[in-house]
Amino acid sequence: MLKVRLIPVMTFNGVSLVKTKQFTNARTVGNPIQVARVYNSRNVDELVFVDIKATEQGRKINLPLVKKVIDECFMPVTIGGGIRTFEDINDLLGIGADKVLIKSKALQNPEFIVKAVEYFGSQCISIAVDVIVKDREYLTHQKNDEKVLMKTFIEKMHQCNVGEFVVNSVVCDGMMNGFDKILYQNVSQITTKPIVAVGGAGVPSHFTELVQTNYNGALAASSIYHFTQYTPQEVKKTLNKAQIPVRI
Amino acid sequence: MIVVIDYGMGNLASVQKVIKSLKKEVKITCDKKEIQKASLIVLPGVGSFEQGMKNLNDLGLVDLLYQEVIQNKKPFLGICLGMQLIMEKGSEPNECNGLGWIKGRVVPIVNSRLPVPHLGWNNTYKHKEENQGDTLLNNFYFIHSFHVLPEEAVECTYVDYEFRMVASIEKENIFATQFHPEKSQNAGLLLLKNYIESYA
Repeated sequence: MLKVRLIPVMTFNGVSLVKTKQFTNARTVGNPIQVARVYNSRNVDELVFVDIKATEQGRKINLPLVKKVIDECFMPVTIGGGIRTFEDINDLLGIGADKVLIKSKALQNPEFIVKAVEYFGSQCISIAVDVIVKDREYLTHQKNDEKVLMKTFIEKMHQCNVGEFVVNSVVCDGMMNGFDKILYQNVSQITTKPIVAVGGAGVPSHFTELVQTNYNGALAASSIYHFTQYTPQEVKKTLNKAQIPVRI
Repeated sequence: MIVVIDYGMGNLASVQKVIKSLKKEVKITCDKKEIQKASLIVLPGVGSFEQGMKNLNDLGLVDLLYQEVIQNKKPFLGICLGMQLIMEKGSEPNECNGLGWIKGRVVPIVNSRLPVPHLGWNNTYKHKEENQGDTLLNNFYFIHSFHVLPEEAVECTYVDYEFRMVASIEKENIFATQFHPEKSQNAGLLLLKNYIESYA
């Protein structure tokens, strides 16, 4: 039976690992290589590493550092941040990334995603969807004030045949009060592609509650692993007790 | 020396990393002389079947691989696309011939209820004798939209995804996996360690 994937997310600011609350208030949480080593030893199902400042600061991701992170990992790794060109994707796949996570470029230029999927294969192109709520609508989080419905964006990317959606709730980010369950029900109705939910997990029961809404995607989180005593293994034990299939 | 064949189809760095972690000498190459000298040939790969065959043809490796693996019986490990390519025929995106070392085809996963690709960790199993149930094996990491249908008697392990698919094939000196042992944490490392240490 296919297992529910449990995925720690590492957010990097160009210098160290940080953890935000609602995408602000970045707090330093450690050294990416050490943290990756710990996650590998805890036998997590996948790892996501994102440089959250690369696009904003107009720089490329730090390849030598990312390579060191990947070298610690014997599970699939997704890397994101500042990806603008085929060369960027090629560089990341070349140092051993399994998937790349793209957001800004996908919003600006869907045609780029069509070509990337054709060239690299859909299995390695993941799309980051950062979601805000405004006037009871789910919108994509934008640096400018342009209004883009989440539904429109996901539908467009679905047509581009991308491999996966990593859907992050900005409102829940770092708050540790639980996932936005309605959000993932919505996303599951828009696309049949694999989904990774992230944003809000603070205790193991939050993961169980999301799966029990008939959500069948992956479960990602960050704060719970940085700021509480819970490890990915303990979360898996809780899921297992609730009869949810996990790899232990 | 172990040779990982570089034919422009995806993540070779991970395979190399795992072999290095086992303290074995490994080279990523498409050089014919190096492949002839190898003690074990690894064919990894992700992407489309047709493109994979085209690249092997363009590099002139199809006959060489036949000679080394089928005639000289050199140990061969295929991973993911590298497993699919050893079949007779593929269909991604168009019908085309594979290496043809094992009788059978590669067909799309058609699933009414579950998403395609089959992505994530799933446990493999072996059939015991008639009416004795299955032997459960470890969880491995899968990511694929096509699966192989062997049409000859080969030793297989299986994986369930609404229906039964082949997870690995063994025939004489050929061993091939649909899953990614190099991405499958301790279970994958152990499998590769046991396999590689018996050959290289």
